[in-house]
Amino acid sequence: MPLSLQLLAGVDFHTLPQQVVNGIMLGAIYALIALGYTMVYGVLKLINFAHGEVYMLGAYVALFASWRLGFTPEATRGTNLQSSAFNLVILLLASMAICALIGVIIERFAYRPMRQHARIASLITAIGVSMFLQFGGALVLPISPEPNVSGEINPYKGTYQASLTPSPTALVRQRDAAKQPYEAAQKTFDEYIAATHEDRFNLSPKGIEARDLAQQAERTYKDLESKVESAGVSVIVPKGQLVMLVTAVFLMLLLRHLVMRTRAGRAMRAVSHDFDSAALMGVNVNRIVVLTFVLGSSMAGAGAMMTATFLGTPLTTFYGMEAGVKAFTAAVLGGIGNIPGAVLGGLLMGVVEEMVVWAGYSSYRDAIAFVVLILVLLFRPGGLLGSATMEKI
Amino acid sequence: MKQFRISLAAQAAIAAMALGLFGITGCTGGGDSGATGTKTDAKTGEGGKIKRPPTTAPGNSAKGDTIPIGLVTSLSGDNKPWGDDCKKGAEIAVDDFNAAGGVNGKKIDLKVSDSGSKPEVGKSAAEKLISDGVLGLVGEVASGITMQMGQAAFEKGIPVVAVGATRTDLADIGNNMFRVCYTDDFQGPVMANFAYTELGLRNIAIITDKKLPYSTGLSDSFHATFTKLGGKIIDEQFYETGNKDFKGQLTNVKAKNPDGLFMSGYFTEVGPLGKQAREQGINAKLLGGDGWDSQTIITSGKPGIIGGYFCNHYNDTDTRPQVQDFLKKWAKKFGGKPGTTMGALGYDGAMITFDALKRAKSLDSKSLIEALENTEKFPGVSGDITLKGMNGNPEKRALVVEVTEKGFVFRKAYEGNQVKK
Repeated sequence: MPLSLQLLAGVDFHTLPQQVVNGIMLGAIYALIALGYTMVYGVLKLINFAHGEVYMLGAYVALFASWRLGFTPEATRGTNLQSSAFNLVILLLASMAICALIGVIIERFAYRPMRQHARIASLITAIGVSMFLQFGGALVLPISPEPNVSGEINPYKGTYQASLTPSPTALVRQRDAAKQPYEAAQKTFDEYIAATHEDRFNLSPKGIEARDLAQQAERTYKDLESKVESAGVSVIVPKGQLVMLVTAVFLMLLLRHLVMRTRAGRAMRAVSHDFDSAALMGVNVNRIVVLTFVLGSSMAGAGAMMTATFLGTPLTTFYGMEAGVKAFTAAVLGGIGNIPGAVLGGLLMGVVEEMVVWAGYSSYRDAIAFVVLILVLLFRPGGLLGSATMEKI
Repeated sequence: MKQFRISLAAQAAIAAMALGLFGITGCTGGGDSGATGTKTDAKTGEGGKIKRPPTTAPGNSAKGDTIPIGLVTSLSGDNKPWGDDCKKGAEIAVDDFNAAGGVNGKKIDLKVSDSGSKPEVGKSAAEKLISDGVLGLVGEVASGITMQMGQAAFEKGIPVVAVGATRTDLADIGNNMFRVCYTDDFQGPVMANFAYTELGLRNIAIITDKKLPYSTGLSDSFHATFTKLGGKIIDEQFYETGNKDFKGQLTNVKAKNPDGLFMSGYFTEVGPLGKQAREQGINAKLLGGDGWDSQTIITSGKPGIIGGYFCNHYNDTDTRPQVQDFLKKWAKKFGGKPGTTMGALGYDGAMITFDALKRAKSLDSKSLIEALENTEKFPGVSGDITLKGMNGNPEKRALVVEVTEKGFVFRKAYEGNQVKK
């Protein structure tokens, strides 16, 4: 078998559409965070290493907001609280607003004093801020036991399932026919337990017999079910994550409008083009820099609120590390300083990662992003949409 | 205009360096099991076969009216929830033992030192305690830290009773090393037996955290036993600590339609994995190891994780009298219940040391090692512990517990010698 075929031996074309969808959803979040890196770089030529920590703090803001709304661990344990889209909007706005504020504070106190100095000073400061927030944050934020934003606050439960090619009806009928004996066997075993009060996990020989019969029927049914599933092609999207995707796209469009269609956006582009000349032309550069941090950080806040709410990961002060690295890579991949580039880079990274998983190489999922990055930089040093500029020395 | 500029490439290089740095500092020492570097082999459970190097240093001896014993545990850092419980458990043991008269009227003086969840800090904490004259050390909750402590103690001839360190080759350091927990190449087989027999599962997919040696080792030992029993591992997927979105891996798993899913990582990732698995329409039974042991898994993994099973050292719904007695004392002293199993293991680690002191020929480290080595059927909270001829690794019982909305519920116990590996 040729090597190319061997490498793809593990792929299953039935899952390709699902994996592309997964990649787009993953990439949309990378893109949101990447925007912050790219905008700050565009304006200040600074890589804002603390951006991942702003994202982390955004997740904590969402957590505290959810607690404020009554979704505390105690309240959600064992009960089903009703939530509404309104709660999600509050979480989103809180995260965006506080992150914007944090971004402005970082800029004002860490980066602005360094702006007149060598650029490497700002870079080291950025790393310092990042570590300060990671380790200092651990002193004041709840980290043990690791808290998480309760999934109960998401009112959009369940999934959308789109069937692309349906399974053969003969198989479906076979499966449905096996369902009745399966349920009957389960019932028999349950009745046996109810009658004898035996411990399900320490059965008498007679109980073991009954259990094995039930297990056998279950396996027969599950095998048929498995055949049905693998014969058709469908795409599943959890409703909550669809909300996440739609919100991300909306925010990116909003940002595009702000940058391309408003006066402040034009000023921002001017500063990005040439910082000193823009200042000479009467642009208030400080205000523009603040605006850049507001926009970039609030995008990170939105991304953080959505991952924290819809994916369920417990929070620590290192929450932003992985996302920060990936998003930074996405920004460089798309051409750092270029806004559409960040979005393209993010989406591309998301899809490439899921393609690697799809091909059966999930252990390389996190490494592949950097391989793609190196390849792109070798052939297009400025990134996909960036322009390679000559450096004056 | 002359201006100092760093090229993008240079910035990227600095970035890479910085990230590398973050990677190291941010690396979790690893909850209860730390770094488990070993593959499954026949080193444990068949005690007496491998000769451990004996320590030749003289050790310490008790001089005053009290007997100094050291406890190294993670009172800060990532492992704090485990470390705190361990300390509280050990304190109850001290109260119990001293109230019962100590060793011929001599009371235990427990000296506690913080490892900060870091191996190198744990090592210097151990060295400090040894130079302060402790006869023996209890701790740590994580394997990586215990490794370092063990080396330092070996050089000084001081015994170490590890609390939650499940790394298999840990006790090979020397004859001063003991532990009160089972090893990783035991809990994998336990879960494999449970899945195959009790749940009737035949096709299982494994998801491993490839960044955690603990996880890869546990997956390997589960894999080996489950296939030996006659089951099939139909898919293996990987992720890394810190990942948040597992849809890609879960899509692959779903296509294979397993009836069981073994997730060997820590609860921080397993919770979201369970939640997302359900969202992707996976109805397989979820299974795992003691890395699941945190109530956080319930809040973060709901609803998918509910109904999952994992292997643990002890459970507070266990009806053994030692467990209920321990819980009563805990409630009286600290209120509530221990949040993790490290409370019980901390108690056992301390108590087994004190118990050995009573049997020791004289109050010095050398006799303590000898007495620990001769421990037989010590009735601990987490089960009966026998160290005699076991190379420091007791054949402990393991419990399979079910994750429910309200907490972890005990389902089945496996004794150390009744599991097919």
